[in-house]
Amino acid sequence: MTTKDPYRGRRIVAAFLLMMGFVLVLFRLFSLQVLQAEELTARADRQHRKTVTVEGGRGGIYDRQGNPLAINMDVPSVFGVPASLENPSGVARDLARVLHIRADEIEKKLKQERSFVWIARKVDPEQGRSLERLSLDGIGTVLEGRRFYPKGPLLAHVLGFAGMDGQGLEGIERRYESYLRGEKQLVVLQRDALGRTVFPKGLNEQAPAAGHTIMLTIDEVIQYITEKELDEAVAASKAKGGIAIVMEPRTGAILALAISPKFDPNIVKGISADRWRNRALTDAYEPGSTMKVFIAAAALEEKVMEPGTMVYAENGRMTVANTVIHDHEKSGWITFAQVIQKSSNIGAAKTAMALGEERAYRYLRAFGFGERTEIDLPGEAAGLVKEPRDWGRRSLASIAIGQEIGVTALQLVTAASAVANGGWLMKPYVVSDIRSSQGQVVAQFGPQVRRRPISAETARTLTGIMEGVVTNGTGSRAAVSGFRVAGKTGTAQKIDPQTGAYSSTLFVGSFTGFVPAEDPRLAIVVIVDEPHAEAWGGVVAAPVFRKIAEQALPYLGVSSRAPVRLAMASY
Amino acid sequence: MKAVAVIVGVALLLLYVWERNEIVRAGYHIERLKEKKVVLQRERDGLRVKVSALTAPERIARAASEKLEMMPPRPGQVVLVRARPDIPVQAEDKDKDKDRPAGAELRLAKYDAVGKMP
Repeated sequence: MTTKDPYRGRRIVAAFLLMMGFVLVLFRLFSLQVLQAEELTARADRQHRKTVTVEGGRGGIYDRQGNPLAINMDVPSVFGVPASLENPSGVARDLARVLHIRADEIEKKLKQERSFVWIARKVDPEQGRSLERLSLDGIGTVLEGRRFYPKGPLLAHVLGFAGMDGQGLEGIERRYESYLRGEKQLVVLQRDALGRTVFPKGLNEQAPAAGHTIMLTIDEVIQYITEKELDEAVAASKAKGGIAIVMEPRTGAILALAISPKFDPNIVKGISADRWRNRALTDAYEPGSTMKVFIAAAALEEKVMEPGTMVYAENGRMTVANTVIHDHEKSGWITFAQVIQKSSNIGAAKTAMALGEERAYRYLRAFGFGERTEIDLPGEAAGLVKEPRDWGRRSLASIAIGQEIGVTALQLVTAASAVANGGWLMKPYVVSDIRSSQGQVVAQFGPQVRRRPISAETARTLTGIMEGVVTNGTGSRAAVSGFRVAGKTGTAQKIDPQTGAYSSTLFVGSFTGFVPAEDPRLAIVVIVDEPHAEAWGGVVAAPVFRKIAEQALPYLGVSSRAPVRLAMASY
Repeated sequence: MKAVAVIVGVALLLLYVWERNEIVRAGYHIERLKEKKVVLQRERDGLRVKVSALTAPERIARAASEKLEMMPPRPGQVVLVRARPDIPVQAEDKDKDKDRPAGAELRLAKYDAVGKMP
């Protein structure tokens, strides 16, 4: 006999309900895992993963001895989230105290209807730490790479500078931007519920490579000497400015390039472009008497003149095409060597006339005037050498004395180097090699011959004549004790912007030369723009040449051949 | 047999859970080390900037002249010498040279003046 279960019906109902519940759960599971799987996986990924762009640091710039001239450092940038600020005025006051920015300026930014505003970018690390201690709601910091030029104004015109977003804007920074900039890479990070990074996607992910390192031919010490002596000369002569370049004549490597006045590439805000322009290669000027060297080179090479050839200097006054050419010293018959040593305008004009237009033009172009030297720096000018068909009746005489021709300081020192090294026109350069962030050399630059304007014999003869400029001529203040110096002074009248004619008060004094004359190690050009009082190149520029050479030669270990008397110690 | 299979299954499951846990823990540790590395790199870069600024020729020259009262050598004050290994070292006369600083004569004998600095 079986007893009837009084709860059977209830159990069936309960079981049914349970079953329905399970079915519902299974259905929901099926819906989530299968039907909506793709969409939900994507949504989870978006929430767990964060993709950020990471950029490797900008590469450094170093001198030939490995001394850093431009380096990168991560510094804090301060941002605000206006929407989450309850008291923008109070926050602005706190920020102003730390960042030394006016509170009303910050407040204006914080009251904008934006979700993100920059308050100050690339601030001092100490200011960043102070802000962290304040811990202000709605204010945060992120790290950004900032460019530092630890030597301040040293070599500023060559280095250039990088902008706020780390892009090169001038000089080496601009020219080698593609090498200096670090690699950009997208990195996927996994985050936990609190937003912390749990693990990068894949352990083998490499950090983006830093930018390449640029090694310069510049020597920090010679650069310092050159800048110091140029600045002192510019200040002493109350000049508008000055340029000095030191080159290795055998290679074309630039050891120093100084422009006065200087600027600090760490603080470029508010400085005009005129101040940071590298005038040694962007600005052409009428060189004056230094041009006589190259006319003389052509005359010697073409055998139009010899050092002993007699030239009549017309007692200091000669008429050419209804204009008068003067000499500052009245002379009668002088040798061709004396034409250069006494810097006779009449003698130089007669030399050019003997040479003829076509040959004079050909040699000027052969020495690199009127074309870019192709130095590895941006903004180089070609200068101005008109073609003979555009010359007037006086042009040949004018060009011989450095008028009606525009040259850059860089062209001048490169051409002087060609005389110094036996006749080879070299391509000047400032970057010796480029290295990867791991130190491997990726590109190397060495001496490059462009052409040979004169023979070794002509160069030797001309060097002898140029030595006379320093021993017996206008460049005596360039003489370096114990060394043979070859050079040429130049004093050029500037065009008066008011009248359009040559000014009687505005001059450019210059000296171009090399030392030691018998085995040149340094070719130097010094240009002093608009000196007051004494404007002669032999007075304002030649002493700068001497001072640079006096300090740079011992630094390079170049010894004089002068006899030495040793006082032997006795005991 | 079934019990063994269940135990092995559970053990494998626990091992998997433990492994996942260790991976996450290692991930956090790596991230902490990375942050520390960034801090140290910033410190290194800061020191590098400071060293470069302190070794600037202008600053050294100023310190040498103002603090140490040094000045550049005058013409003729610097004499370059070249080593002459071919010349034998002179025999030392101890009685004559008793006040001489050690090695002074040795240097004079072995080096030749080759040039004078400007």
